[in-house]
Amino acid sequence: MSIEQPLLKIGFVPLTDMAPLAIAKEKGFFEKYGLDVRLVAQNSWSQVRERLALGEIDAAHILAPMIPASWLNGAFADEKFVSALTLNLNGNAITVSNSLYQELLDADFDAMLERPTTARALRKVILRRAETGREPLTIGSVFPFSSHNFAMRYWLGAQKINPDRDVHMIVAPPPIMAEHMESGKVDAFCVGEPWNTVAETKGVGRTIVRTNEILGNMTEKMLGVRQRWASENPNTHRALILAVLEALRWLDAKENCLESTQILSSSHYVGVKPHLLAPALGGGGALPSRRSLVEFPDYLVFHHYAANFPWRSHAVWYLTQMVRWGQVAEPINVFDIVRDAFLPEFYREAASAVGIPCPADDDFANGACARPWVLHDADAPIVMPRQEFIDGRDFDARDPVGYIDGFAQHNLRIRASDIAAKD
Amino acid sequence: MTAAPPLIVLLIDSDPDRAKIVEEGLRGAAAVKQANMLHGPELLSLIQQLQPDAIIIDCDSPDRDTIENLQLVARENPKPIVMFVENGDGSLAKEAVRSGVSAYIVDGLSEKRVLPVVEIAIERFRMFDALWRDLEKSKADLQARKLIERAKGLLMEKRQMTENEAYTAMRKIAMEKGKSIKEVAESILSVLTLLDD
Repeated sequence: MSIEQPLLKIGFVPLTDMAPLAIAKEKGFFEKYGLDVRLVAQNSWSQVRERLALGEIDAAHILAPMIPASWLNGAFADEKFVSALTLNLNGNAITVSNSLYQELLDADFDAMLERPTTARALRKVILRRAETGREPLTIGSVFPFSSHNFAMRYWLGAQKINPDRDVHMIVAPPPIMAEHMESGKVDAFCVGEPWNTVAETKGVGRTIVRTNEILGNMTEKMLGVRQRWASENPNTHRALILAVLEALRWLDAKENCLESTQILSSSHYVGVKPHLLAPALGGGGALPSRRSLVEFPDYLVFHHYAANFPWRSHAVWYLTQMVRWGQVAEPINVFDIVRDAFLPEFYREAASAVGIPCPADDDFANGACARPWVLHDADAPIVMPRQEFIDGRDFDARDPVGYIDGFAQHNLRIRASDIAAKD
Repeated sequence: MTAAPPLIVLLIDSDPDRAKIVEEGLRGAAAVKQANMLHGPELLSLIQQLQPDAIIIDCDSPDRDTIENLQLVARENPKPIVMFVENGDGSLAKEAVRSGVSAYIVDGLSEKRVLPVVEIAIERFRMFDALWRDLEKSKADLQARKLIERAKGLLMEKRQMTENEAYTAMRKIAMEKGKSIKEVAESILSVLTLLDD
């Protein structure tokens, strides 16, 4: 099988979870599979989308929701994105400014000690502020179609806070938000690593909850390609997946943590000091300024738990959130979109050839299990994580309409039943 | 043209040479405010304050996502966006226009071209915006009626008011605070649902 296009340009945004691409490059995995890859840093997710759509880059480290979003009419451009490989689960967190943290403690001390920490205390703070006529809180995330945005909204919604009514939601680059937290221009944000660790280390904020605790091991970044490119270059696509899979397995091994922090800290990749990368890459999740450390083994998951499998159920979940928050203004067929956008069949073919066990099913019900479990419906049994949403709701990907109907907080612009239109 | 008030254009570009061309090109026709040192919340409050007639942004700017989100969420007050694009084959420009950018300027920018591009962007934007507003207005009217009904219902339930009393109370607050009944309904819903456990 010959590689159709050995020379590739892959785009990434300088974040800790771009690690699989940096490792595949630096450890020679791309080379091993016959690929000559140039990694190109991008300044914004808008830019990633444009360059990928135009073919200026061949593949990209991309936010998982951007893949199904590219299939929505009008939301993106005409070029459709697909993915056959998940780069990581989790990895983001919510950080609040020191002054907001103090307000939260004053409002409901007990709520702030609970793990996972809900937005219960925040609701009281918002209410107090509304009653005393203070400005609403400014809360940031990184892109409209991002897990960060949906995790933040989910966390707020679970405590009957409507993000579009009760707070001021903004989008800004994470380094900027970390910078503005001190001056009080941003009160809270949901961002990826290393930016929560940076905020904690600089002493401007406190990380209070990780997205793992809100969404229960949700797909985070993916390797995105154009649909047309994928169908024209199947061998290149396969080689690319295999090379990155090797990097993902390498990153999953604890003993490689130190080396990975060194590699990533280079200005070609993330460009921050290694100690700012270590908490997430080491899988410990213990942040430096914390007096009471909370063990957090799955802060950022690169490979175990069948993490690289592109679950169609996760694409359905993201689409339900886009609908819930009014990003979808016209009827769609969720099932058609996820069938075309996520390519588990292609992943299975590539991964099983190198002996990585693959789930036999394309979906599973999130929210169903409060403890780790074993997935037997696979080439070999796979240990799977606790799978819980912070509000305790179950999500069944076969019934997205019922799922959306169950949310008290939403900003729907179409009816929930408009997402599974029959042809 | 001369009678019209000058345009306000916000320029987000870290390239000083290009910025100068834009300023020269718009001299006399528009006030250009440069914002390449402001990001995130500061950039947003500047836009809020300035209410520019158009925003010109470099396609490499890290502030792209902030502006894009502004277009998506701040539907009540969107702005025409003009984007600088490096390569002149037009495909990026086409892409950009589809994702909400009103016009583009490719490199090799000359002073003479700036004003027409900005004017066309504003014109085109206004056309789309007017269409869109008509559609949204009918949706919003319906939404406002629903909100007022819900707030009325809540007042009746929580404060044991009659329907008439609830509506009169809301109207009174609206008049005293100089707000619309819909806005009053929103604050009532926000406070009462937050209080509700």
